Amino acid sequence: MRFALRFRQGMKAAIPIWIAFVPSSLAWGIAAQAHGMKFEEVVLMSAWVYSGPAQFAVLGPLAEGKSSLQVLVAGFLMNLRFLPMSTALAPYFHGVGRLPLLLSSHVVSASSFIVPYLQFQKERQHAAEDPGFDEATEGYGNLAFFLGVGGSSFLVWVIGSAFGYAIALGFPAGFDEALKFILPGYFAGLLAVEMRGWAMPVVCLAALVAAVPGALASPGWGWLLTASLVGVLVWGLEQWKFRASALS
Amino acid sequence: MEISRISIILIMGLMAFTVRALPQVFFVGRKFPDSLERLLRYLSYAFICSIIAVTLFMTGGNFEMRAAPSRAVALALAIVVAYTTRSAVSGMLAGMLLVLMLSWLW
Repeated sequence: MRFALRFRQGMKAAIPIWIAFVPSSLAWGIAAQAHGMKFEEVVLMSAWVYSGPAQFAVLGPLAEGKSSLQVLVAGFLMNLRFLPMSTALAPYFHGVGRLPLLLSSHVVSASSFIVPYLQFQKERQHAAEDPGFDEATEGYGNLAFFLGVGGSSFLVWVIGSAFGYAIALGFPAGFDEALKFILPGYFAGLLAVEMRGWAMPVVCLAALVAAVPGALASPGWGWLLTASLVGVLVWGLEQWKFRASALS
Repeated sequence: MEISRISIILIMGLMAFTVRALPQVFFVGRKFPDSLERLLRYLSYAFICSIIAVTLFMTGGNFEMRAAPSRAVALALAIVVAYTTRSAVSGMLAGMLLVLMLSWLW
């Protein structure tokens, strides 16, 4: 009963995520169709990989038949961000069996991480004042809430991708430029919304400028190498600045 | 050795699942150091931007000289619109409309 209640609470909290997922998943489906992916590949990728940025990231190389290793490395690096997210959620599932944890971890995404994480933090603060609070029982309740958010958002993403693919089939000719723009335009938009501090704009601009010469020098790995260099260099610079300011 | 697209998707999903599931098994109760978290974030941003540049300005290993200016302008518009409206989809739609109009004009 409590599980169902918490699941419903999670679903309610996920409504804004569904709204955000509808256009994004449609965009992914349309872009995938424009890049020559088959319907079953689009649905499989959305359901099994379930990672918007990684799906968009490998779309071009995958459709152009680039090296499979290159696609896998790019996808893996993009998905590494799930590591800290999943780690941050783990303490709130105290007492939950390993199998339910493993199965539910599939729906960890940026959006389905933030909503439950903030909710759990808030609830833990309240629980600290409640002497009757049982952490072991709460683990399953938290899992139910997380599945309400993550599971429902996952379904919206997969169904939206399939619809996007179907919509793209009806696109008239002459829209190639617009379809080609969906992927980079969506990425640029996501980054612009998240833009803060000095390091992020520097990383973005430097990587944007260095990628084309890198890809011209080595079409397969050049842009991956320049991106890695830019990321590490800016991080190193930031570390150096932190140390310098700590010393002064 | 090259493998089929379906196989690549399956391996990619397995890798994504591993990254998601591993912390639930091994890292319960632990936290990453702040600096490592930042490094992961910067690498991720750099990859995304490189992908934007390569997807937008290159086809089959060649720089698309003719289409590059209009796509660059549309990209700039997408960034400005997304930043001001705080909506990635609005930015994408604005850029898409502009690049479409520019492609019809020239």
